Amino acid sequence: MKSKSEIVEVKALPFAAGFNWSTGFQMQRFIQELANRKILGAKCPECGYTYVPPRSRCGKCYTKIGEENLINLSGKGTLVGYTTAYVKLDGQGNFQDLEEPGIIGAIKLENADSTIFMPLEGIKPRDVTEGLKVEVQWREETKGELADIRCFKPT
Amino acid sequence: MIRRVAIVGYAQSHHQHNMQETREDMVFEVCKEALHHAGILREDLDTVVTASTDFLDGRTISSVFLSMAVGAFLKDESKVEEDGTFALYYALMKILTGTHDVALVEAHTQGSTFNPHQITFYTLDPLFDRQIGVLNDIAAAALQARMYMNRYSVSEEHLAMAAVKNITNAAENPCAHRKMPNVSVEEVMGSKVFYDPIRELMMSPISDGACALILASEERAKEITDKPVWIEGVGSCQDPYLRDRNIQNLDSLQMAARTAYKMAGVKEPFSELDVAEVSEKFAHEELMIYEALGLCQEGQGKNLIKRGTTRRDGEMPVNPSGGALGADPICATGLIRVIEAAKQIRGEAGGYQVPGVHRALAHGQFGICAQKNTVFILGGNGS
Ligand SMILES: [Zn+2]
Repeated sequence: MKSKSEIVEVKALPFAAGFNWSTGFQMQRFIQELANRKILGAKCPECGYTYVPPRSRCGKCYTKIGEENLINLSGKGTLVGYTTAYVKLDGQGNFQDLEEPGIIGAIKLENADSTIFMPLEGIKPRDVTEGLKVEVQWREETKGELADIRCFKPT
Repeated sequence: MIRRVAIVGYAQSHHQHNMQETREDMVFEVCKEALHHAGILREDLDTVVTASTDFLDGRTISSVFLSMAVGAFLKDESKVEEDGTFALYYALMKILTGTHDVALVEAHTQGSTFNPHQITFYTLDPLFDRQIGVLNDIAAAALQARMYMNRYSVSEEHLAMAAVKNITNAAENPCAHRKMPNVSVEEVMGSKVFYDPIRELMMSPISDGACALILASEERAKEITDKPVWIEGVGSCQDPYLRDRNIQNLDSLQMAARTAYKMAGVKEPFSELDVAEVSEKFAHEELMIYEALGLCQEGQGKNLIKRGTTRRDGEMPVNPSGGALGADPICATGLIRVIEAAKQIRGEAGGYQVPGVHRALAHGQFGICAQKNTVFILGGNGS
């Protein structure tokens, strides 16, 4: 085995790229409507599957979903899965222990079929159960950004 | 299949956390050894297919410096992203078309170079899940585990038992990374919790490693070896992104297995397979994999582990090599399963040999919550 001194450690990725991805009109509308405290979904005109965040195509039946297929979702939903996080990744590949464990919820919104994965607050980890009714918590001032959705809480 | 194709040689590294070896040297050594194991020369290769992931390799077009190391100098060469079983599938198709007769398939990852769990974060939807920022492969696996456990009354102890079985098996495998022959259920359940219920010893270790395998058409295979391991069936399938699938089931694995079974003429996998080598990145996945492969009914995976059915000396041994919980050089892990299954058929598995293996299954996967799955059925004269 080679000694550690023979290994060249390159500490950083060669470059940090900011990608200018197009979001598509659905995602743009989704983000804009958050300012109005509305959550949009896209209901497939063919099979009825409802995507959240909205998508412009249904992969299940391979159909185009148009702007006319955007629907308002209530922001209320059901917890279908959960985990308690004891660590987080810092973005640089390091695990950091959380001072206060956090709950991640798998949530199905009313009238939607997609499952979204969101922070769940206002409940202790030991009290969390599948089937719990939850509701979106908006931040004080909504600006049309994903950060407008602060977390979900039990109703 | 229109042409019979066989595995005629293979090699793998001694997987470990920090190999302190260049990627090129690590790959060169396994490719050279695989050629030696088959008893052929680089000149005998018609094509080379490699598997890795640019993000895990830390560079793009990551095969560019590997063509010399894999023996592809002035040869047909291509790279497949992600798991080595996908590269094997591609190499198989190249031979089936008749354009090539002998292929070398190589796969590798040096997980120690950058935390691969961080990289899984970059496989998430950049416009939503990445911005919400709570998910990665372990968090998603924990959500999956809890959903599966709630649905089928599976306990943390059942998960720990699966981990103990594989980690104990790995102790007999000189190539495995984890060396914990005396690991106990208590030790697994007392290991560091990352995302409940996933604990350190329920997760695959972060390994450096590579493997290579030589594939040949029937005519060439019979010239090369008197112990060819035939590819009898293959199936591959992928699930949608995790928002739009039921993560408590491995639907795509079930479909991949059905395709492979049909091609191989397997009707009762439990009784017709002698051993299975599967890519369980987390302990709960092993139980879910039993079910998706049809080794038991839905929700009954826990019974196979409880009864010891899948132990090395059980009725249906799964992962006698230790599986992914024994070593996980990510892109190589599925191809290592194929090699381990071939070793069992040829009677080359040494201290972890299962007696009388004629037919074996090997499984590779990639993506969060095992989004993409490939299943191979291998057959031979038996050990
Ligand atoms: Zn549809």
